[in-house]
Amino acid sequence: MTQQATPESLGLTSRIPAPLIRVLRRRDANVFFLFFVLLAAIVYFSIESPYFLSDRNAFNIGRAVSITGIAAAFATLLMISGGLDLSIGAIMNASGLTAAVILAESDQGIVIAFAIALGISTFIGFANGIIVTKIGVNPIIATIGMQFVVRGMTLATRSGSALVRDSTFLSIGQGELELGSLEIPIPVILMLLTMLLAYLTLRFTQFGKYIYAIGDNASACRRAGINVDRYRIALYTISGVGAGFAGLVLTGLTGAGIPYAAGSELSVISAVILGGVSLSGGVGLIQGTLLGVLLVGVLKNGMTLLNINANWQMVVEGSVLMIAVSLDQLKQRI
Amino acid sequence: MQTPPIVETVGLSKYFKGVVALDQVSISITAGQVVGLVGDNGAGKSTLVKILSGDLEPSAGQMLLNGEPVHFRHPRDAKKNQIETIYQDLALCENLNIMENVFLGHESYRNPFLRLLDRRRMYSETAQLLKGLGIRVPSTRELVMNLSGGQRQATALARVAKAGAKIVILDEPTAALGVNETRNLLDLVMRFKEQGKTIIIISHEMRDVFEVTDRIIVLKRGELVADKFTAETDPDEIVRYIIRGRE
Repeated sequence: MTQQATPESLGLTSRIPAPLIRVLRRRDANVFFLFFVLLAAIVYFSIESPYFLSDRNAFNIGRAVSITGIAAAFATLLMISGGLDLSIGAIMNASGLTAAVILAESDQGIVIAFAIALGISTFIGFANGIIVTKIGVNPIIATIGMQFVVRGMTLATRSGSALVRDSTFLSIGQGELELGSLEIPIPVILMLLTMLLAYLTLRFTQFGKYIYAIGDNASACRRAGINVDRYRIALYTISGVGAGFAGLVLTGLTGAGIPYAAGSELSVISAVILGGVSLSGGVGLIQGTLLGVLLVGVLKNGMTLLNINANWQMVVEGSVLMIAVSLDQLKQRI
Repeated sequence: MQTPPIVETVGLSKYFKGVVALDQVSISITAGQVVGLVGDNGAGKSTLVKILSGDLEPSAGQMLLNGEPVHFRHPRDAKKNQIETIYQDLALCENLNIMENVFLGHESYRNPFLRLLDRRRMYSETAQLLKGLGIRVPSTRELVMNLSGGQRQATALARVAKAGAKIVILDEPTAALGVNETRNLLDLVMRFKEQGKTIIIISHEMRDVFEVTDRIIVLKRGELVADKFTAETDPDEIVRYIIRGRE
């Protein structure tokens, strides 16, 4: 650690104590920070509302954030690599509706319905990847275009909802896993498993290393002999599959395929950014994304319990994101 | 029969949207030579080495290695042919540590399907490699963003040494270095030469060029204007070629 820019070298000694700077400069500083903010929010709501601190309410929060969480785990991988996918919400709806319609209107079983829904999601993600990497369209433009196309096609296929009656399908959204006295909602388990998978990928695999490397310096990766385009296409494809999977869980949760069910992809992306992933790539941890998703869920739930109007909840949510990103910017000046 | 040159280019040209960056350059380099590539800004030096490294594809002309025609579409192709390059910007990932940069693109892993990184092995290899090169760094776990210019250069050099290439290209390696660091770098170039590597080095620094090279190639506005043995020329003559071009 000898060459690290020291507080002395930056003339900041008098104002910020050195141990604090060392903590702030850690790669996982965001994660610690979010953890304490989350803890503070939990303590506050527990004091203010008698209903907040219970396993039942915790699972309500978990269920509420699980769909965003699943999509966010995959989006985190893409965004650390410097990519961005604004078609996530559209893919979620397309996937959920496709599976529900196939089950409702054909004699195909759930396996075929899921396979087709995920196949479509895979294809959309792959198409995003090709357009961004091989043609070189800016990811924001490319995936907004894709969002319109997919949303339009979904609504053209069916403007109303398709009810789900298949019990397996419903159970991935509404089921619970009994663990001792706890009944953990299946979507929460799916979210945690997805996050775990993303964590293991980032932490231990060559693919994970390349995600960070490409996010930091794609041209250096190319020059090191890495097939950058292939990895980027893979990441957009994974983002598509992840959104498709989240859409299936959402459909199971709501009990119907609805062409406009999923909120916007912006809630997924803002949770990822709140978790410390930089839009310019190369930075971020999945633990941060998990905490970002949970923090949004806790704030919404707590404010609802305190009877705070939904409009003001939105104001708080936006402010938290802005404060988090601003603090991150300020941190970089240290 | 004479052995063919290790690197040869025939009429190599590169155009960028109508601008001629490299114009019919034909050079031939014998194995084990240290070749200096000099010229003013915009002379085409970097374009030439980028083509040799597979980073750019030539617009026209041919490249031969050991007499065999080759066509590089990606830096990977050059690496397969034992060509390693240290780029002017060093091409390091700042968010990765020294070991991770040294092994970038050549990771050791367990389980060919999951490709689980074998970090322990890579750390110990990196430490040995740096020791062998006489390079000292605080720790192989230090992130590149925290390194000095010389330490970054050392990381890039270690990567090349690890790859064990026969041909090493250095693009302005001393531009960002202090006096001592330049000294170490030139020593390392000589060490590479002793190992029988062929070296192509771009530099503005005449003193460095005359110290380590066997041959000097001068480019001007994309054209080859001089190709001299270092022993048979002097800095004044080379500078004249750089400024005035062919006489």
